[in-house]
Amino acid sequence: MNVSRRDFLKYCGMTAAALGLSANDLLGLKEALANPNGPTVLWLQGAGCTGCSISFLNRISTAAPKTAGDLLINSVNLAYHPNLSSLAGDAVVDVISQAYTKGNYVLIVEGAVPTAFGGAACFAWSYKGVDKTFRDAVTMLASRAAKVVSVGTCAAFGGIPASGGNPTQVVSVATATGKATINIPGCPPHPDWIVWAVSQILLNKAVTLDTFGRPTALYSKKIHDVCPRKGTGEVKQFGLATGCLKELGCKGPSTKSNCPTLKWHNGVNWCIGASAPCMGCTEPTFPIANPFYKNV
Amino acid sequence: MATVMTIDPVTRIEGHLSVKIEIDIVNGVQQVTNAWATGTLFRGFEKLLTGRDPRDAQLITQRICGVCPIPHGLAAVNTLEDAYNVTVPDNARIMRNLVLAANFVQSHILSFYHLSLPDYVTCPAMLPWQPAWKGDMRIDATKSTAMVNNYLKALDINRKIQEMGAIFGGKTPHSPAYIPGGFTKVPAAADITKARSYLAEIVSFVENVYIPDAEYLAAKYSDYHAIGAGSRNLLAFGVFDLDQWGNTKLLKRGMVTDGSTSVMAVNTGAITEDVTNAWYSSPSGLNPAQGETVAAHPKGNAYSWMKAPRYAGEPCETGPLARMWVNGDYRRGISAMDRNLARAYEAKKIAKALDGWLAQIRVGQPSYLKAAAAATGEGIGLTEAPRGALGHWLSITSSKIGRYQVITPTCWNASPRDDRGTLGPIEQALVGTPVKNLTEPVEVMRVIHSFDPCLSCAVHMVRPDAPEQVMVSVQSRT
Repeated sequence: MNVSRRDFLKYCGMTAAALGLSANDLLGLKEALANPNGPTVLWLQGAGCTGCSISFLNRISTAAPKTAGDLLINSVNLAYHPNLSSLAGDAVVDVISQAYTKGNYVLIVEGAVPTAFGGAACFAWSYKGVDKTFRDAVTMLASRAAKVVSVGTCAAFGGIPASGGNPTQVVSVATATGKATINIPGCPPHPDWIVWAVSQILLNKAVTLDTFGRPTALYSKKIHDVCPRKGTGEVKQFGLATGCLKELGCKGPSTKSNCPTLKWHNGVNWCIGASAPCMGCTEPTFPIANPFYKNV
Repeated sequence: MATVMTIDPVTRIEGHLSVKIEIDIVNGVQQVTNAWATGTLFRGFEKLLTGRDPRDAQLITQRICGVCPIPHGLAAVNTLEDAYNVTVPDNARIMRNLVLAANFVQSHILSFYHLSLPDYVTCPAMLPWQPAWKGDMRIDATKSTAMVNNYLKALDINRKIQEMGAIFGGKTPHSPAYIPGGFTKVPAAADITKARSYLAEIVSFVENVYIPDAEYLAAKYSDYHAIGAGSRNLLAFGVFDLDQWGNTKLLKRGMVTDGSTSVMAVNTGAITEDVTNAWYSSPSGLNPAQGETVAAHPKGNAYSWMKAPRYAGEPCETGPLARMWVNGDYRRGISAMDRNLARAYEAKKIAKALDGWLAQIRVGQPSYLKAAAAATGEGIGLTEAPRGALGHWLSITSSKIGRYQVITPTCWNASPRDDRGTLGPIEQALVGTPVKNLTEPVEVMRVIHSFDPCLSCAVHMVRPDAPEQVMVSVQSRT
């Protein structure tokens, strides 16, 4: 039995109290169900770890979309996401193909693009018995996308799979597809960065990018310049509650992000807040080859 | 006349999995008669770890998986501490447990609601939940709506669980707080109070929402207690050390064969990896402490980037069912539905331990003791990820990583056939699974999802000093 949008709304209305849905929730759902022609989003995963998607699901804000569910239900039509889509196999590839044919979708890519072995270090799908490498899939889908967003340092710059000799010769999504991408690096990126990028696209706003394709609105200040621990005295050992972590290997002086002011997880903490030196995960140089730590 | 079909992508897992199944009618029932599980992503973590400072391992290896990064962070620091022969302060052990526990509970909730539930419940008529296969939905509209609402509520709970963990861990995925010698975070009384403020809602969700939904599902789909048994060998390395030496754990180390109630000790010397059916030309049957990996594709009848881990020559399932069985907490049976139930009960067991651990933190006591790094040495770190037994093996040469090997839970579970042709646990679990409708193999998805596969973890890695011989051609992967 397929629950139609009208039926779903009716059931929600009937049992709102029992389900704990507030009037706002119902209103939001009404808006969503009234707009089945919202922008289509395809989310692909390549040579990555799914950390970006997990981070995205942690979205919480007082500004809409308040949560990841909010965005998915109210603002976009997420035609494909490997962790969320109901269908599998050829059936879900058909859904992707339909979106591709219609065109004009937002393509979000998480993970780098392997090019070694003809791209066969990563397969996107198999359709009617024919394998499609991730490189071919992302190139094809980027060609008819209205916008391409590279979520995470792997997709934006290659990231960890590109380090240590780049065993599978991964490249960034921009390099693989030849298309300009909005890069939202971070390992993983903060959910607010991902949501901000999607929101700008939905609102048809131009996004100013730096030379690495990162929105200047998100990646402009060096962490060190706005760090609350700046100037509080450099410590030379781990396991202290306070102090500047430069002598422990902190990459704050060379890393652009708003982590010190935005903080993570609804403001409860962030890397340096846990007395852990910044690893520089939003930079094209991540991960550096030299040891991350000093005095460890 | 048998039908062969490939499901690729298998969705609602972590990572890249392709499953090929042969379906035929046996005794009047259309069912899976053979199965091949293939990992379709290879990144080469070992190779890129080689030559790095060993103290980088927990930062890099967490990126093996963004759904279960914390277990890798813990395994890596344990491996280093084994090589350096150090024990960490109690505060560190406890905070490591707390952040790991948050990861476990969040992961189990994700597995049930977001990865598995759409196999059983009609989801709202909007993308990405529709279109969906319609077959065999046994739950009425009212209850379906309630469970879907819980799916949304579960997103909120998971966000809060990860917030609680981040009070100590800094951020997740990929916590920077795990460090050889201890934990970077210095706990204050306010941290403990704040963390405690999350507990009631988390425990209540697990006890009053997740478990009832899991039990309701098990009752409606009780036939799945007789579907998807797999190898019936269960392996657990154990996790959540309750003392500084790891002699007592919240979930014990042990293994059983063929669903026995007799638990045997684990000897890592009995672990081997066969490669006959994996795309490697290096020797088969090696223990990971001497592991080698020389990639070779195509190769004979090989069909996976995953090697075949075996314990005393036998395929073993790992995961919540294995842990709860070894620990004596769940022995109802071994099946797809038993896995789902054991996962829910384990979530409760772990969630309820949080309060006691918070009470054990000693403000003012150290969380870190600088560990003298060894220029050479070997280390093994055994722990558990939400999906099962996890091991890291390290050799240090001239103060650098000389070799790093990882065997992940999903490598055990989604393993290909070994040298004797014995199927891996998921492959075995699929054989005999009924398939009512060839165009909607939802039964197959239910069995696969009961293992909660995490494929980023499963694919093997390349030995650093092996000659670069990776050749892959894009052929059909049989």
